[in-house]
Amino acid sequence: MKHSLTMLALIGLLTWHASPQAAEAIDVPALLKTADRYRGGSDNLQVDTLITQIGQDGLAEKERRYTVFAQAQHKSLVLMKSPAEAGQKVLMLGDDFWLLMPGSQRPMRITPSQKLLGDASTGDIATLSWSEDYTGALVGVERCASEGGGPERACLHLSLQATRKGVSYQRIELWLGQARHEPLKADLYVQSEKLAKQARFIFDHPGAPTQVTEMLLQDQLSQHKLTRVKYLARAPRQVPESWLNPMFLARNPSLD
Amino acid sequence: MHCAAISMCLLLLAGNISCAHAEEGLNLSGEDRFGLLPRHANTRGPLAAALALQPSLAKPPQDSAQLALELRGRWQQWVADVWMASERPRGGPSRTEAHVNELNFSGELAGWQWSTGKKIVSWDVGYAYRPNDVVQQEARRSLLDNTPEGKPLLQLERFGAEDALSLVLVHPQRLGNDGLEGARFDREPALAARAYQRFGALDAYGFARWGRHTGASLGMALAWVAGDEWELHASLRALQRHDGWQAAPGSAGTPLAANPWQVQTQGRASQVLLGLNWTGAQRQGLLFEAWHDGSAPSAGQWRDWTARNSALIGQGRQPGLPASLQSAVAGNLAWQTSPMAGPGLQRDNLFLRLSWQPEPWQLTLDGLYQPADHGRIWTAGLQWQGDRWRLNASWRVQAGPARSVLAQLPTQRSGVLAATRAF
Repeated sequence: MKHSLTMLALIGLLTWHASPQAAEAIDVPALLKTADRYRGGSDNLQVDTLITQIGQDGLAEKERRYTVFAQAQHKSLVLMKSPAEAGQKVLMLGDDFWLLMPGSQRPMRITPSQKLLGDASTGDIATLSWSEDYTGALVGVERCASEGGGPERACLHLSLQATRKGVSYQRIELWLGQARHEPLKADLYVQSEKLAKQARFIFDHPGAPTQVTEMLLQDQLSQHKLTRVKYLARAPRQVPESWLNPMFLARNPSLD
Repeated sequence: MHCAAISMCLLLLAGNISCAHAEEGLNLSGEDRFGLLPRHANTRGPLAAALALQPSLAKPPQDSAQLALELRGRWQQWVADVWMASERPRGGPSRTEAHVNELNFSGELAGWQWSTGKKIVSWDVGYAYRPNDVVQQEARRSLLDNTPEGKPLLQLERFGAEDALSLVLVHPQRLGNDGLEGARFDREPALAARAYQRFGALDAYGFARWGRHTGASLGMALAWVAGDEWELHASLRALQRHDGWQAAPGSAGTPLAANPWQVQTQGRASQVLLGLNWTGAQRQGLLFEAWHDGSAPSAGQWRDWTARNSALIGQGRQPGLPASLQSAVAGNLAWQTSPMAGPGLQRDNLFLRLSWQPEPWQLTLDGLYQPADHGRIWTAGLQWQGDRWRLNASWRVQAGPARSVLAQLPTQRSGVLAATRAF
């Protein structure tokens, strides 16, 4: 028993010393690129998502389908596909946003706060590039719970700060698996430093993950609802430049 | 009842079509809606005075029920949007109407995008008022969002990475018609242009329009996102001539044999809009807009209008008035509602909208205030949005001093209770 305690103390001491050393050695931008690859893997992507909002009683309250064209240089176009929102589009060019409603057919400039009002911002989260939009620092090596109730495992805790103001969340606390650098969970903070959402990531093969298949977002600001973002399809796709012009989108063109 | 049954069949048919053709390149969608539209006739104003003298002259605003269907389709380069509705006023027969909102064909040639047919083209940056919406000139501040009816047009557009140029010939079918009948306001044949340039957080627009009888107008607009929560916008337009309601000279207080109010081509005018949007972290919002519409009737015209109303009402109250003269006075009072049908009532306006969007609800309260005579319109709205169904309830009250124009509109209170299903 005494021997075991000594061993534990030694392991603890080694771990305590190992964290700062790891912090010095770890290349955070490379870590973020690796983490991004689990959700995308290309500069120009088409991502189809199904977003389900689950109430406190566990029942699905709302379902929305989005197609997101996430392009290089912080350009994204979100197409609403559900009957309730069909024809609506949100265009995001860096820090600038436009909303297009099918009944009006004119692009309306919207603020970052207005963007957060709609579910399109959830689609935005689904394609968010941590490596492009954030700088980070390693906070330390911690123990993280495994998805599905498995044993705890070592993970890297990173603190990310947005490099541009247009992103929905100015600070992200991100935890990555220590071995494969896959994203495990994230705390998303808005500009006012309030914790807005907590994210958890579900993988295709929990033992050997290659892709995030679902993201669970627990709202912490208002209604404390759970949102499940399911990735239905992901494929590299570069859209024509004109698709990223708000005036072109006002023509209500076919974008298939 | 017969019309309602036909409409119901169309609604069911639409739902089936949407499923059947989804995989054949034909993309169909739409929505159907059932609504109750309560209307309370005003007890003040020229129409109320006219009906007091001669109740059979016209029907006052009435409650009604409406069943409506909007069907949108896209097939290759064709786009169509059709709207049809059956409305049954309380105690009256059903009335069915239908129109094509859009039916157009588009393509690309030498770097230009073109469209021809009936199309919705909405321009400018405002919400409650848009001076440079020079093609569509769509109805605003309506109780319930409706797709506007497009205009017959030819459109050419060119798009760069951060700029765009649009040229539109609207109502080309009327170019050969020299008469002004049916070509007033937004029905005038015109050539319009819009240039757009993005400067980061600022959208800048330039507008030009040449109408066959109203001549030239030039405009510009800006929309600027000033911070995470603030958006500011402004729009300005100078018009060489414009259409507007005008009373015939010498129509002060005597009953006339013809409506003295006619739409006429009038001189120069300017239109200015300033607005801001604020959105808070708790999903609350504020929209404020102030505008001057130099094409609306002037304060002097409304003073003359009020004086003529008073004179006619005074004549109608004279004891022993012959029936024929009473009928003439009533008709003249009813004609006094003509300028109320114009696109703008008073020149100076202030608009405030407060909103809160705790999902799936949206609550709005807005007020329009006209400083010239202190007339006001208050509107409260509540919306619930589900996966397919949307429920709306709105209530609007026209208020203000008895002599204000808004307080004398034919409808004093109106509302909407509607259930809409998207498919």
